[in-house]
Amino acid sequence: MKRALFYASVCLAPIICIFLSLCMGRYPLHLSDVMNALGNVPIWTDRTSFGIHHTIIWEIRLPRAILGAMVGACLAASGAAFQGLFRNPLVSSGILGVSSGAGFGAALAILLFNSVAAAYPFALVFGMLAVVCSYLIGRLYRTTSAIMLVLGGVIVSSVFAALLSFVKYVADPYEQLPAIVFWLMGSLASARYADIMIAGIPMSIGVIGLLAIRWQINVLSMGDREAHALGIHTNLSKGIVIFCATIATAGAVCVSGVVGWIGLVIPHIGRMLIGNDNRKLIPVSLSLGACFLTLVDILSRMITGAEIPLGILTALVGGPFFVYLLKKTKGGDW
Amino acid sequence: MSLVTVRDASFSYGTRQIFHQISFSVEKGEIFCLIGPNGCGKTTLLDCVLGFHHFHSGVFQLMGKDAAGFRSGRVARLIAYVPQIHERTFPYLVREVVTMGRSAHLVFFESPSRKDRTMAEEALERIGIRHLSDRPYTQLSGGELQLVMIARALVQETPIIIMDEPTAHLDFRYELVIMEVITELVKERQLSVIMATHFPNHAFYFQSKQIQTSIALFSNGRFLAVGDPESIMDENRLRKLYGIQADVISLTDRNGKTMKHIIPVSTIKEMEV
Repeated sequence: MKRALFYASVCLAPIICIFLSLCMGRYPLHLSDVMNALGNVPIWTDRTSFGIHHTIIWEIRLPRAILGAMVGACLAASGAAFQGLFRNPLVSSGILGVSSGAGFGAALAILLFNSVAAAYPFALVFGMLAVVCSYLIGRLYRTTSAIMLVLGGVIVSSVFAALLSFVKYVADPYEQLPAIVFWLMGSLASARYADIMIAGIPMSIGVIGLLAIRWQINVLSMGDREAHALGIHTNLSKGIVIFCATIATAGAVCVSGVVGWIGLVIPHIGRMLIGNDNRKLIPVSLSLGACFLTLVDILSRMITGAEIPLGILTALVGGPFFVYLLKKTKGGDW
Repeated sequence: MSLVTVRDASFSYGTRQIFHQISFSVEKGEIFCLIGPNGCGKTTLLDCVLGFHHFHSGVFQLMGKDAAGFRSGRVARLIAYVPQIHERTFPYLVREVVTMGRSAHLVFFESPSRKDRTMAEEALERIGIRHLSDRPYTQLSGGELQLVMIARALVQETPIIIMDEPTAHLDFRYELVIMEVITELVKERQLSVIMATHFPNHAFYFQSKQIQTSIALFSNGRFLAVGDPESIMDENRLRKLYGIQADVISLTDRNGKTMKHIIPVSTIKEMEV
């Protein structure tokens, strides 16, 4: 019963946030208008016959809200998984270099092929490559100590940041450079259903994988020797966790650009609320991440006429909220 | 049939040889104590038995079967492990940590069921720390943590438990608590225990509790002697093993039981050894 309630609220919270996101914006809509518009699915009917409400909901706000929720969920769950795997609460998906790798990959694709469409696979591949490099550097001394991994991530991130600068430097300043910069700043503003379909594949694979293996993340966080003695095939399980967390993050970064903060702090908010057991923490991180990014996106659309980039708001809103929670729960057992 | 058989086994890190042609076996209901100075390779030997490292040569059998190629899951259904130092990163609850002992009995993507959780509670009850069940294990004392680790090994339901210096860093009371728990479990469930320890007296303790006990004196990558603690632990061997002068005395405790004890007296300069 308690369990059913837990999972119900985990699923329900992001849905509520998505509805909020549909109602709010420069052009506020009443919930009844939203429901009305949602009732007429445009696939089955001629879309020109509907009013402006319908267009706002179906063409602008819904893809954006769904994509925001997916991106937030992926970043938070990957962060939680990486923290458990590397036995280091300061690791996030970004710290291992997936974001800078993906950024470089996207920029390279734009430089080589002049097309943003090629950016998705490139971002994905280079994001994963970056994490693999960090992991290998961390293992140089045969121990995957937390400090070495973070150091590996920092090194790999800085190398990819330098490569990215180089790509920007040689890119055509009138056509390619703006495209690169625009892609990197990223936001959910350009969200289309096509984005959801393409980036949704790696994100779903990653998230499903992490959900399936979340128990083993607990055991892996006991350290290699103990996980092995407890019967876990450590190399295989670690590989799966890194693969899933990386493709989920890379998929998210593909469509939203670099949104920091979520992957580090949302899992900690989860830890304060429900504890450290990854069986609960991964679902809760998914849910909190989805809610948080959807809500922040509402703010980014509403505060000023021009949209504020998400990365700025996640830290500005999230930081104080984190401190508030810390004070309120006194850190819990976290 | 011996549960664990190791014959002429060797291991080296690169060119640095850790041990060479070591042989021993462990029977059901037996405690096998591994004694030797710091850095003599005790932990590496235990790692090889656990399958974390692999013997480079020799015979290694578990339950009579060649165990060289055993996967971690298969080894973990035969041998549980109580680590020397457990690094605590996340404040898991005690019952969550103990439930992790069930991992070897789950299929790949499976999570523990209600039955597994019940087993964890029973193990905590058996060890006498049920009241700690809902505490974050980062808040426990060293002695309590060691009991949690033993409970975790217990739910693994293995015939063999490997303990790497289980009483290191513990106070007098907890040292005895751990020794008593081990004694009871071995008697009650006919477990076999392989234990690295820095306290030769532990072997005498188990022997005085009528448990079949063997001891191996491990020095410079070889066993100086293997066998019955009473007969092989003498002043001469301790001198060779640790480079110390020690007296082996017999004590009769208040219950009238006689037990041997080793009293370290002084170190010996290299020259005199």
